[in-house]
Amino acid sequence: MDSVVITITSGKGGVGKTTTTANIGTALALLGKKVVIADADIGLRNLDIVLGLENRIVYDSVDFIEGRCKLRQALIRDKRAGELYLLPAAQTRDKTAIKPQQMVDMINELRDEFHYILIDSPAGIEQGFQTAIAPADRVIVIINPEVSSVRDADRVIGLVEAHQKGPAMLIVNRIDSARVKKKDMLSVEDITEILSSQVIGIVPEDEEILSSTNRGQPVVLNSKGSAAQAYRDIARRIVGESVPLTMPSTGSFWQKLFGRA
Amino acid sequence: MISIKGLRQGLLILFSDAENATWATQLDELKVKLEQSGSFFQNARVAFDVRGLSLSLDDLQIAKTLLESYRVNLWAIASQNDKTIANTRRMNLATDPNNEEMPSLVTDDIGTLKENPFAATAEGSDGIFLQRLVRSGQTLRHPGHIVIIGDVHPGAELIAGSDIIVWGKLQGAAHAGSTGNDKAIVCALDLAPSILRIGNTTRRVPADKKRKYPKPEMAKIVNQEMNIIEWTP
Repeated sequence: MDSVVITITSGKGGVGKTTTTANIGTALALLGKKVVIADADIGLRNLDIVLGLENRIVYDSVDFIEGRCKLRQALIRDKRAGELYLLPAAQTRDKTAIKPQQMVDMINELRDEFHYILIDSPAGIEQGFQTAIAPADRVIVIINPEVSSVRDADRVIGLVEAHQKGPAMLIVNRIDSARVKKKDMLSVEDITEILSSQVIGIVPEDEEILSSTNRGQPVVLNSKGSAAQAYRDIARRIVGESVPLTMPSTGSFWQKLFGRA
Repeated sequence: MISIKGLRQGLLILFSDAENATWATQLDELKVKLEQSGSFFQNARVAFDVRGLSLSLDDLQIAKTLLESYRVNLWAIASQNDKTIANTRRMNLATDPNNEEMPSLVTDDIGTLKENPFAATAEGSDGIFLQRLVRSGQTLRHPGHIVIIGDVHPGAELIAGSDIIVWGKLQGAAHAGSTGNDKAIVCALDLAPSILRIGNTTRRVPADKKRKYPKPEMAKIVNQEMNIIEWTP
């Protein structure tokens, strides 16, 4: 099978890597693809919670690396979205538990069976990040429209290029068009001008994300909200459809008046 | 006897294998260069080309220790002498500095740049020419001139033995004449570096420097003071 391994990273923490990974992975599965989403944030795993699969973890990737289970046994199927599987991280260990080469070997084992393997990278640029991007064919960098996030992304994009994984693609997350208009927030144009990289998605700030994350239900499963639509668009761009990049509107007068359609 | 060149993988120090050139005298010479050049070598990666010199494990270890005391990292030794090559391997160092396979992935120097910079020669001094942008955390280091078509982002660093010319926006740190050359210049279409150094003179550029319609400018030392003037051909 022609598989694509995509690592989702950011440098800065808290910009929405895990939520984005969960939603893009789910959206890809809803498009009929066989998908694994792997949590590389060993010791601070969250992907299982965002997907609502926390209680089903028996084995994790470190158990596989250390020979306590088969890779298949560590995969947890999310029945809500067709062929979607989670490869959880260990919670009791740290980033040194998996070496970059072990990560490459583990992901290679999955390549035969899946169309897309998404890897949720830990924040930072240290070993955990290096391990997470080691098997990647493509790297997506998540950015919030603020100067510190853009600065960290610049560093990460440089590192991605240095690891011969470039050019990195960008997702601008949590943008608020009203605040961009007021010049309180960097616009997508500002960000692309600074970073000179390709943007493959613009995700609006959406209150729905917080509640869906807490419930363990990715928004793409059942919401018609603007963030859910943005994630679906990104998934369609990843599979090669041409979907125009539009600036989603958030918190507009009409949306507030009528609720989320 | 020794000379310094810029390589895609970092700096290269060339040694002589002439009969009167002993290892000890050449290392003394290197020590003087390290002493004089101050910040130019700091945290740099260097390779040696020792030509036909026959060197023992001790000889190599002394050189490595000397470099380490100046915070310089020796990663490769090229040689035509079998004994030297064998000892280089025993020290776990690379034997071909031109080889793409670097011992470890280093992210902060010219070695990681994908595009192939080509060396140019202007008035007898080497330089590199690059068409790319330099991102935060990346360092470009060259003993000669650095010429870049593209922007230099905040958090990036340019360190040149001679001049720095940026056909674009220079926002990172720039150090021209880093071997102590006060005659070096720094030019950019938008000269807004976080720190500007020429030779031993440092200047911070005030925050209001960020202008909407920048003009090309040149920084140079006049009467021991850094001057920034309009850059007109």
